[in-house]
Amino acid sequence: MSKQQIVPRKQELQLKNENTGLFLQVIISIAVFIFAITLSGVLAVNSMIGNWNRSILGSLTVQVIPSQNPNQEKALSETLAHQEKVVDFLRSVNGVLKVTPLTNEQLGELLTPWLGDDISINELPVPRIIDVKIDSDANINFSQLSKDLNNVSPLASLDNHKLWLNKLIAFADGLKMIATTILLLVSLITSGAIFYTTKMSLGLQRGVIEILHIIGAKDTYIAQQYARHMGALGFIGGLGGIVFAIPAIFFIGNLASAIEGGIISETSLSISDWITILSLPIFAMIIAITTAYYTVKQTLKKML
Amino acid sequence: MIKSSPNNIIEMNNVGIRYDQGPEILSNIKLALPKGSFHFLTGQSGAGKTSLLSLMYLAQKPSRGDISIFGHNINFANHNQLASFRRRIGVVFQDFRLLEHLSAFDNVALPLRVCDMDEREIRKRVTEFLTWVELDHHMYDKASTLSGGEKQRVAIARAVINRPDILLADEPTGNVDNIIAGKLMKLFVELNKIGTTVVIATHSDKIINDFKYPRLHLQNRALHIYYPNNNSALGDINV
Repeated sequence: MSKQQIVPRKQELQLKNENTGLFLQVIISIAVFIFAITLSGVLAVNSMIGNWNRSILGSLTVQVIPSQNPNQEKALSETLAHQEKVVDFLRSVNGVLKVTPLTNEQLGELLTPWLGDDISINELPVPRIIDVKIDSDANINFSQLSKDLNNVSPLASLDNHKLWLNKLIAFADGLKMIATTILLLVSLITSGAIFYTTKMSLGLQRGVIEILHIIGAKDTYIAQQYARHMGALGFIGGLGGIVFAIPAIFFIGNLASAIEGGIISETSLSISDWITILSLPIFAMIIAITTAYYTVKQTLKKML
Repeated sequence: MIKSSPNNIIEMNNVGIRYDQGPEILSNIKLALPKGSFHFLTGQSGAGKTSLLSLMYLAQKPSRGDISIFGHNINFANHNQLASFRRRIGVVFQDFRLLEHLSAFDNVALPLRVCDMDEREIRKRVTEFLTWVELDHHMYDKASTLSGGEKQRVAIARAVINRPDILLADEPTGNVDNIIAGKLMKLFVELNKIGTTVVIATHSDKIINDFKYPRLHLQNRALHIYYPNNNSALGDINV
């Protein structure tokens, strides 16, 4: 084999020898770790809101509050009579597919977390719940339905879940805003670290850069070498961050799914969410390339 | 004021240079180097030879006055234009200014690589030039391992590899023996014959006497010219 073939071309700027490389990789790893955790949170909240929306789109709940009759037995029979009237009415409404009053056992299960197992629904002044499945394309006028229900039974009230869902969505939106702010800050910190590392390196490489300038190298030629080097550091640092972030995301996911109540456990990350998270090293690489390239160009503008 | 002529490679008009707030090192320099000319640049140590050369290879701008190179006033040139002008200038530094971590080959290849020349053509040309300066056996040795004379020859090969329009050399024969010095001077003369303008800063009376070229002499911050066979100063160069 000839000697020509075994001698690889070396870069003019000795960027790999600088101690700042490891520092930058660690910074980018931490940034990508935080970024991945926060991003998975945002994506999970998005998925949660989507699930809520889907689940309530075809359903509504009617509540029949207990009669105020001081006689417990009479109150129960009056309440049940009202419930029956309401059920009959609902079944006659256009667009209603299925009307299911919750049984005593089902109501009991709902109250178990607060009142324990040993409860008798008939002895408690608890509202009766009617689950109503509706055709989501039927375009039901909920305001009119609510009025009609009140005419059928003053004890009945309609809940189309909008109120609590809107509050949850507002809360989730708040979380998303905080998360987005964190993502922006992490991106800024990463860019800042790359900016200062590049500036420092330009100072260290000043002698080489002067020689390159004198022999006619354009700023782009030098900036490209920095962009390649910083891009590689960004990608490797990003991979490091992701390697730590993935188990952490699974761990947090497991903790969340262990929470009772069925709200958080509905969340899950889709394949596209995972692709987004796994592409973060590429995102880090793009930030590193762009920041380094323009930092070099701007700095060299001030040199002759 | 010197009128810009397309026949001049470099023109300087009332050029002065100072560092920070110090006194002027060079004052009221007027100079016009015609295409294809050959000049020696002389002067005592500290007279400003290196500063004058650095103005010529566009490493700095003058504190005052105008410099035109290839017909363009550098005060109005942008970064990319300056880079394009520098590609047409070959420079040999007194301290070589090689990239020590690179091989002799890569150092000589630099001016071609910054122009994005094809690697096969680069290999051909660099091998040819390194063979000519008798360094083909050190082609892949790091510059840091070469002797002073070898570094000098690498620096000269790097300066001329791109067939520059003007070659500026600061003591190019200072670190080589008489035989190599003669060969290098022959190279400069040959380059000059095919149209390259040459300016060589030197302290060597032997070289100045052996090669009968005009001499730019820096004294008391001013530039004077002496012609061969007529050692009387003609005063500031005027065109």
